[in-house]
Amino acid sequence: MKTRKRLIILFLLPASLVYLVFFLIPAVWAFYYSFFDWSGFGQNMKFRGLGNYRELFHDPIFLLSLRNTLFILVVGGIIVFALALLLSVLANSGIRGKKFFRAMIFLPNVIATIALVTLWAFIYNPSFGLINSFFELIGWEAGAKFTFTSMNHIFYSMLIALIWIEVGFYLVLIMAGMDKIPLEYYEAAKLEGASQWQMLTGITIPLLWDVLSVAVVLYTIFALKIFEFPYAFSQIQPPPEIYTVGMYLYIEGFGKRDPIYRLGYATAIGVVLLLCVIVIVLLLRRLMRREVIQY
Amino acid sequence: MSAEPITTQSSQSRQRAWDKIKKWANHVPAYLILGFWSLFTIFIILWVMMSSLKTNKELFKDVWALPTKLHFENYAKALFAVDMEYYFLNSLVVVLISVLVILILSAPAAYVLSRKKFKGSTWFMLAFIAGIGIPIPLLFIPLFVIMTTLKMNNTLLGLGVLFIALSLPFTVFMLSGFFASLPVELEEAAIVDGASDFQVFFRVMLPLGMPGLITAAIFNFIGLWNEYQLALVFLNDPNKSTLSLGLYSLSNGMEYTGDWVGLMAGVVIVMIPTILLYIFLSEKMISGITMGAVKS
Repeated sequence: MKTRKRLIILFLLPASLVYLVFFLIPAVWAFYYSFFDWSGFGQNMKFRGLGNYRELFHDPIFLLSLRNTLFILVVGGIIVFALALLLSVLANSGIRGKKFFRAMIFLPNVIATIALVTLWAFIYNPSFGLINSFFELIGWEAGAKFTFTSMNHIFYSMLIALIWIEVGFYLVLIMAGMDKIPLEYYEAAKLEGASQWQMLTGITIPLLWDVLSVAVVLYTIFALKIFEFPYAFSQIQPPPEIYTVGMYLYIEGFGKRDPIYRLGYATAIGVVLLLCVIVIVLLLRRLMRREVIQY
Repeated sequence: MSAEPITTQSSQSRQRAWDKIKKWANHVPAYLILGFWSLFTIFIILWVMMSSLKTNKELFKDVWALPTKLHFENYAKALFAVDMEYYFLNSLVVVLISVLVILILSAPAAYVLSRKKFKGSTWFMLAFIAGIGIPIPLLFIPLFVIMTTLKMNNTLLGLGVLFIALSLPFTVFMLSGFFASLPVELEEAAIVDGASDFQVFFRVMLPLGMPGLITAAIFNFIGLWNEYQLALVFLNDPNKSTLSLGLYSLSNGMEYTGDWVGLMAGVVIVMIPTILLYIFLSEKMISGITMGAVKS
């Protein structure tokens, strides 16, 4: 018994300690900083109470970044899951090369964000980019003149590229779940004359529910904290049109050209982000909770 | 009389051929859509590789044309003139050591949490899982203070420590899922044979858990090799840059240099290691994603 206790302590302590000091404590500490006015590391902190939070909800740039983030979550999420489901069903329809297609669709997920962003900068480049020069090739003038990276379009162009990446990740999850559904169910349904759509809504989705609810939670966390991809996508000085909450936090805290930082304010943004994650994830778990179907 | 069975037979085989064609025709949309999606991805990657071997002039003249001569000097320039060789080494050292330490810390913790349940072990597990939901940007400022206090800011050591700490939640979660899926019989047999808990872990669990550990290693390697947000926040010294961060500065310098082919060479240098890993180990990687999320 004594050695067992020793084993637990010895095995659990190192990981827990590192995790505590460099992850959990900073996360809790962030709440403290969010109550201060703090213009830079090494500067004095001034207590502000809930002032940062009050200011946030009147800050048009923050509200824009929140809107963008929620757009990625909701609209982006619906598109990602619809495409991932569609492609999974197609790949599972008994065709050859299922594994090949799955591997290819997942491929962008192993490439560095910054490399992907450069690929897309090239695809979208208005003067020699792939899309515009393709439109020119087929003689579509209006298309050839379209600028994907202008202020009005940059957010949506970024979202398209993001969807292209994320579909692969959720496709892998969904296909793994589908592999667990017994084939007999489909055979029985076919004998009864069920259509493809009926089989999707009657068998696949209900039996996939567990996997889908985990996948939706993962996407939610991913979408809410997204920073790297849109930040790199917009090159050196991102316009507010493409800000996400994570990006706005970084820019307020570190990323300004003139060194006027607002560390307390930036941390308050982070706290709001964490609260969004908690509330939305709990809500989703509630909404998606169903009796587990045993099979 | 004798003609009848023959016609049935031939109509049967005709029916079968017809069924085959119909089945194949049913699959055409699947092939078209999946094929288009896959080709698009393959095409862009090949196209970047092709462009990285052109001159800027050739590239701007016709983006679709093949290079007339292979300009490998773009790579030499990216590696040596832009210092990507150092970035490459920085990344390799930090990422490899971090992955090793992540496994050394996570495997025992995951083993205890999945096999040696004790009072409060569920809370430990929940605390680790909570880390998956905490947005990393929230930690930027508190971590910056901690790193400055420990004098680890702007060092590769500090970056490595953060890589390790921030990879723990997912790795512990993934590995405990994997350990939980292993059969208990071998462990029990070892205990009956008088092995201590430590021996059980090192002689039974680790060898059995190797596939899971390898998957976790590949996963973390790719994730950390590609990561640049922590490097962006915690490294200011260009000499200490990681490869991803180096490519980021290179691409930001584009508006001054206009050297697109050099940038393309940089992109290829960053992509190659993970794509190579993926070509050989894609099945392992894909199984890794589902290890935690899809219960078996």
